[in-house]
Amino acid sequence: MEHSILIHKPEDHVGVAVRDIDSGETVVGLITENNDLYEVKVIHKIPLGHKVALKSVSDGEPILIYGSNCGLALDAISKGEHVHVHNMVSARWK
Amino acid sequence: MRPITFNGFRRTNGAVGIRNHVAIIPVDGLANLAAKHVAHIAHGSEAFVHPFGELQFGLDLELTFKTVIGIGSNPNVAAAVVIGQEPEWTKIVAQGIAETGKPVAYFTIERYGDLATIEKATRKAIEFVQYSSELQREEIPISELVISIKCSESDPTSGHGSNPILGKTVEMLLDMGTTIIFGETTELTGAEHTIASRFKNQIEQEKFWQVYNEYIGFLKSQHAHLLGSQPTQGNIRGGLTTIEEKAWGNIQKIGQAMIEGVLHTADSPPGKGLWFMNTSASAVEVATVFAAAGATLQIITTGQGNIVGNPVTPVIKMSANPLTVSTMSEHIDLDVKETLYRTKTFEQCKEMLMDLLIRTVNGRLTKSEVLGHRDFLPPKLYRNP
Repeated sequence: MEHSILIHKPEDHVGVAVRDIDSGETVVGLITENNDLYEVKVIHKIPLGHKVALKSVSDGEPILIYGSNCGLALDAISKGEHVHVHNMVSARWK
Repeated sequence: MRPITFNGFRRTNGAVGIRNHVAIIPVDGLANLAAKHVAHIAHGSEAFVHPFGELQFGLDLELTFKTVIGIGSNPNVAAAVVIGQEPEWTKIVAQGIAETGKPVAYFTIERYGDLATIEKATRKAIEFVQYSSELQREEIPISELVISIKCSESDPTSGHGSNPILGKTVEMLLDMGTTIIFGETTELTGAEHTIASRFKNQIEQEKFWQVYNEYIGFLKSQHAHLLGSQPTQGNIRGGLTTIEEKAWGNIQKIGQAMIEGVLHTADSPPGKGLWFMNTSASAVEVATVFAAAGATLQIITTGQGNIVGNPVTPVIKMSANPLTVSTMSEHIDLDVKETLYRTKTFEQCKEMLMDLLIRTVNGRLTKSEVLGHRDFLPPKLYRNP
């Protein structure tokens, strides 16, 4: 199946849109480390290159990308949400 | 079997260039006008104008000298004309370049004025252009290439596409015995421990921590919020959210390679292999100091489409962002968007990059060269007295 999202590692909380995705679309994510597929219903518009949450994250929890802590959730984030500067912040430069 | 040689210019000191420039180098900002006139009259010569070189002192002055001398010494330069206001600093720059054994002449403006200086310098530039036009390319092993790598205006397509492709290419180029430089100290934040773990020896690893902590300490001392600067507004527009995410994408471009050591800004690598240079992440400044360190080719990955070029070294730019490669095609030398859809593998894209690299070092012009992107900016450490 053709993927619309790329995900680095199975444990990552977010994936990256490889095309513009509309709100309400159910799309497939490809985990590049093991070629597994992951389905997610997207609840916001996600522009090409932007991130979508693959699982729920609680307020203040670390967000994993590349299997590594790449910042903290600024709010509770639900699966399918757009993840960007409005709901994610650097843990290093606050 | 991939060719393991290319055709380049062997300079007097043994260093190998892939271009054959005659450089007109101003020592200070006030010599820019004369340098531009000389380059305008003597076709085939090029002026490397910059705003610095007055009243500087200490480490800041040393860095300007090192950068300007390094540019003139770059193996892509066949000969250099140096122009400054007064003889003392002008002579330092000219003598620094002359250590390479290439033809160098210097001229000063005070007590002559622009017109007489332009005439004398132009006569010398004409001679140098004719000299350089007779130099021939010869067969050179690929191991003698010095390449610098950087990512610019990155976005998440960089971390998923162009950077891992470059990483695989870097691993192969290192196996072939080349020298590779990367930098961008602050942009390692979040992945700095991974980079530290890649140093081959502890002394260089400690040196890395020293320069990294010093740079971050300086940023913190300014009490500025860095969102919008690192990541840049362009990075954010492209989808990058934090410096940590940017850093993890960034370090993909060295693959699994191990690092020989740390270079101070604009210092030449003392040996082969992969070197980390302490630099800012600003594209024009980094391309300038990499050229000053002796890089003869630069490879830049970009997400949102950084358009940088360099007057001394060709810059190959590659992107995996489908929007960028279609809207900014005049800037992007290599389109690797298919890697996002897995219609091309990283290996196939690596082969495409290697093919373009070989053609470029043999003389094929990059898009930034054809467009005339001769962006040039020496770094500056502190304000003048």
